[in-house]
Amino acid sequence: MNVTAPLIEVEKLEAWYGRRRILNGVDFAVNPGEIRVIMGGSGSGKSTLLRHLLGLHKPRSGTVRLLGVDIARASERQMLDVRRQIGVSFQGGALLTSLSVGDNVALPLREHTNLDEATIRIMSRLKLEVVNLGGFQDLMPAQLSGGMIKRTALARAIAMDPKLLFFDEPSAGLDPVVSAELDELILRLRDALRMTIVVVTHELESAFKIADTITVLDQGDILMTGTVDAVRHSDNERIQDLLNRRPREIQVDADAYLKRLTEEAA
Amino acid sequence: MSDSENACISEDLGGYVLVRVCGEVDLSWSQQVRDAILAALGNGGVGVELALVTYIDSSGIAALVEGFQTARGKGKRFGVIAASRAVLAVLQLARLDKVFPMFADVDAARAA
Amino acid sequence: MPRALHDMNALIRPLESLGRATIGSLAGMGYAAVLLGESLYFSVAGWRIGQPLRPRAVAEQMRQIGVDALPIVVLLALTIGIMLGIQFIAALSAFGAQSQVVVAVAKSVTREFGALITAILVAGRSGSALAARIGSMSVSQEVDALATMGIEPVRYLAAPALLAMLVMLPALTIFADAVAIGGAALYSSPALNITPSAYVMQTLSLLEPGDVWQGIAKSAVFAVLITLIGVSTGFSVAGGAEGVGRATTRAVVLSICWIIVVDMIFSYFLNR
Repeated sequence: MNVTAPLIEVEKLEAWYGRRRILNGVDFAVNPGEIRVIMGGSGSGKSTLLRHLLGLHKPRSGTVRLLGVDIARASERQMLDVRRQIGVSFQGGALLTSLSVGDNVALPLREHTNLDEATIRIMSRLKLEVVNLGGFQDLMPAQLSGGMIKRTALARAIAMDPKLLFFDEPSAGLDPVVSAELDELILRLRDALRMTIVVVTHELESAFKIADTITVLDQGDILMTGTVDAVRHSDNERIQDLLNRRPREIQVDADAYLKRLTEEAA
Repeated sequence: MSDSENACISEDLGGYVLVRVCGEVDLSWSQQVRDAILAALGNGGVGVELALVTYIDSSGIAALVEGFQTARGKGKRFGVIAASRAVLAVLQLARLDKVFPMFADVDAARAA
Repeated sequence: MPRALHDMNALIRPLESLGRATIGSLAGMGYAAVLLGESLYFSVAGWRIGQPLRPRAVAEQMRQIGVDALPIVVLLALTIGIMLGIQFIAALSAFGAQSQVVVAVAKSVTREFGALITAILVAGRSGSALAARIGSMSVSQEVDALATMGIEPVRYLAAPALLAMLVMLPALTIFADAVAIGGAALYSSPALNITPSAYVMQTLSLLEPGDVWQGIAKSAVFAVLITLIGVSTGFSVAGGAEGVGRATTRAVVLSICWIIVVDMIFSYFLNR
């Protein structure tokens, strides 16, 4: 594969939820070694975009290429190869509650490699050390705090030393100190393990701290993709609204409004 | 992909074995490195030289950890020699740079 | 709104919801069929595409579905056996046909009650547990996490349950048959003036292999029904913890309805 080719390439991606359009023909690319933050308020379509990037949804229109593979056309084997090189840390951790912390982290290794059990043990505990959870491998997920769950999820996401790491809302629901530690960790992971990282968040502070580039999503459209500075100094009104936490102006169409309020089958 | 070829060469230097590793150590061949280190431990102390390693993943690190642990169990000496920047970054990430005996070069390792 | 249009709406609405429910249940059946196909595919050929079925997962499911259900199966089967003894003695003695009690119990237990009671019990225990487990995993994104790790959720969660159920439900059924006949023997032998062991010997001489097979064949079909309904309602859960609760109830009610209807259909065709 060409070294400079983007790891993620999205072209004209449209997504629908029932009759509602969530993404309006999104173009999106992430280069190797980059930390990309996808930012946007709730309802901006960022979760939907992420689900497409993870291959959890097949695009109905447009293409999504991960590591050069078009996920709509990939065979199961190809998809599996792609997934082995991708790590995902979900918003709520999504740890398997029936497995201990150590087994959760070791799961991808046990499923996808033929490594010696001793090697797997060392590798998975090493990942727990990286996220500062050394020695916690025998706890069950139910015994963990929110921050520990997030860190365990991160340890599991990097268990296979993925090329591409997705991190959904790293700081949601965490106290500022823990979330700052996580931000620090994300930066170190990129530097030491040469990962390309995509972070979805609505936390501005953390976004500005970790991002190389930021994509701002609003109501299914990409408003801009650029460096932290470019986004900060953008003269786009919606972006400034987001940055300054201003509530958006809602355009009122009197006819449509009245129709919504009065008609039986709106 | 890599500037240098992936390789793992063991040299018996009398009393200890120098294992030279080059290239990108990843899942695809890290078991070879592990086997080389464990085999070398049969003949005495082991120094693992990593100057030409451009990338190492956690399975490679695991090989080092297992080697070190085995060496300690057998009362043999073990050292990581001339770790490249790529290796150092990963070791620091897991704070293993404070665990392994680290040496700047082969002579320093021999002196110690 | 004009009056006529309003009336039309009153007519169309129920039709609409009926149509939607029909499409919904058809879609549900289609989904269950896909799950069945995929589970079987992964069980047979999964190892070839890097999705092997883990014997350990199957064994764990077999323990949960089969072994853990033994005490309650024994208790219920024994009770049903005694109950059948009571009823047949009462009913048949009215015709002076007490001697027919043994054969009546033997045939009704092996052909019908053993499989039916076991299946209903397992639907309540394990069908609901499957729906609850997979449902809460869907809600907490664990299913998504498995998929993104390259572990097919159907292979990891559904296939082991299906195989375990296919082995354990027939096994439990045979066990329940034996215990129920034992229960009937304990109650009826004094009334029939024979020893319990003579009762059992008489049962064995009266039973044909076809009687037992009929129950076992049914239980295999029930096993598929219970697993598919539990797993598919689990995977389709939406709407948080409340959704999981609803799915659990739905799985049990649907399974039991299907079991009884399918049982009736089977009995009709097998006993013509």
